[in-house]
Amino acid sequence: MQYEVLDISGDAGIKAYGKTCEEAFANAGMGMYSLITDIGNINERQEIVIEVKSDSIEGLLVAFLNDLIFRFDTYGFIGKRMEIIAFTHQPPAFMKANIYGEKFDIDRHERRLLVKAATYHNIRVEKINDKWEIEVIFDI
Amino acid sequence: MSLPERLKRIDANKLEVPKDYKPGMRTNGVIYVDTVLEKELESGSVEQVANVATLPGIVGASMAMPDIHTGYGFPIGGVAAFDIKEGVISPGGVGYDINCGVRLLRSNLKRETLVPRLKELADALYNEIPSGVGSKGKIRLGPDEEEKLLLKGAQWAVEKGLGDVSDLEKIESGGCLDGADPSIISQRAYERGRAQQGTLGSGNHFLEVQYVDEIYDEKTANALGLFKDQITVMIHTGSRGFGHQVCTDFLEVMSRAVQKYNIDLPDRELACAPFNSPEAQDYLAAMKAAANYAWGNRQCLMHWTREIFMSVFGMPPAELGMTLIYDVAHNIAKVEEHIVNGKKRKLVVHRKGSTRAFPPGHPELPAVYRNLGQPVLIPGDMGRASFVLIGTEKAMSETFGSTCHGAGRIMSRHQALRQAKGRAIWREMEDKGIIVRAAGRGTLAEEMSEAYKDISNVVDVVHNAGISKKVARLRPMGVVKG
Repeated sequence: MQYEVLDISGDAGIKAYGKTCEEAFANAGMGMYSLITDIGNINERQEIVIEVKSDSIEGLLVAFLNDLIFRFDTYGFIGKRMEIIAFTHQPPAFMKANIYGEKFDIDRHERRLLVKAATYHNIRVEKINDKWEIEVIFDI
Repeated sequence: MSLPERLKRIDANKLEVPKDYKPGMRTNGVIYVDTVLEKELESGSVEQVANVATLPGIVGASMAMPDIHTGYGFPIGGVAAFDIKEGVISPGGVGYDINCGVRLLRSNLKRETLVPRLKELADALYNEIPSGVGSKGKIRLGPDEEEKLLLKGAQWAVEKGLGDVSDLEKIESGGCLDGADPSIISQRAYERGRAQQGTLGSGNHFLEVQYVDEIYDEKTANALGLFKDQITVMIHTGSRGFGHQVCTDFLEVMSRAVQKYNIDLPDRELACAPFNSPEAQDYLAAMKAAANYAWGNRQCLMHWTREIFMSVFGMPPAELGMTLIYDVAHNIAKVEEHIVNGKKRKLVVHRKGSTRAFPPGHPELPAVYRNLGQPVLIPGDMGRASFVLIGTEKAMSETFGSTCHGAGRIMSRHQALRQAKGRAIWREMEDKGIIVRAAGRGTLAEEMSEAYKDISNVVDVVHNAGISKKVARLRPMGVVKG
């Protein structure tokens, strides 16, 4: 499993998994997109590159997801696939990703939740045995 | 849910979170719940009331209103005041949706006039008022125009021909906070706000056509222009993506400030800075800009609502009588004067999911309501009711002039979706005479009545506690959701 939706009162969260930390990050990003729409109906028509940095791994996750939220809420861009091309999780944490997707269209795409922001509430980025797990909650 | 054992009942409407509830508390917590709502109290939200009590410079208790539920850092329904010399300001005490709030319009229409046209009206409102994920507003703000909006708030909209100058006096703070500084706003917030002025948003935001079904206080209702079976319109929304971006930006600034000023926090979402620090002053100036964005937004939506009523009913404005009753902010921090232990003090009062409830005679009230007290607008869920209350002296002395803000969720979205499975919520609503229109696929299920506390219970607690008094109850007829 790449991600699952966390059921919490009032808002929504994502639990994401990965063999590596960057894979879990990418899955968290896709999980968040799945809160906004059915990503099965998104096409790869456009590519964007994002770069984020932070002084902690949790900060990097929040900055990354908030970057995706900003691009969706401002320009309507929503991704279908993500490639992480650079990733450092020792502080200062840094990542660079290519995201493939298209502009959201209310006539073609299902409208699910309006995600306002990624929060630090009960945030978790952890290596458990050989796998990485992420939990993050969004303000809806 | 069982009540945490260490809470103490103060009286029929209040619980105490004692100062020894957790280490580091500088004061006690007070939660306004009766024995009914006490059963719905989440342990996470009680913990958050206690966490807020650890913040530097807190004055009085860390309080929560009966619509309390777990938020980020601060609980939703939270009220906390800080000394402006020794205390802090925290974006988490305001929330992501800065100046989320409610406005209420009256009309001369009666319920029976509206019933035959209800579907037509609901469709027109849904088609004309931009709502839901991915919706586009009718307004595009160039950078200069956006700056003007951030400085002027609702007045900006009025100057654009959206509404009347007389609307402004019936908005909290006149629909504009002085001291907004557009130069502090990030490029991202500007970009995000460019196309979202005049949009409703999603989630629990709504535009609702209602009727007055019960009057509790005839004299006050009269003074507000409310009468039984009258049509009213309630608008619940905030500063949209602009405000969310301001909050996101400043949580980063504040998390650095916490290290810089050595503030010990039990939860990262409580990130804050000493009130007089540059970080805090910048946040305050940015928060004010976002608050003004929200007042502009509600003003635009109200203006279009009036136009739609005029076109559906073919009546001129004077005949419709759709004037503003009031507009309140329920996610905001404000510098206010309060009497604490007999001494006048300047405090920064954080209301996160809490409404101001100033008493008659308060100098911040507009002349029209100076002798009456401040109208308090409490939206409920889409199937039950909303309330108009009035501010009291007791709120001033007990809760820094604050009361509840809404119903408060009790069901997660998933639980609500599960409960709604196989049911047509729109049909159930229609059977009750309520026409709903929603943009999102899951919105109606997620927003159904059962997902919320019963607003009547919430309002009864603040009424019985005396921190605001019931004036009228409004029932939904037509609901537009995101």
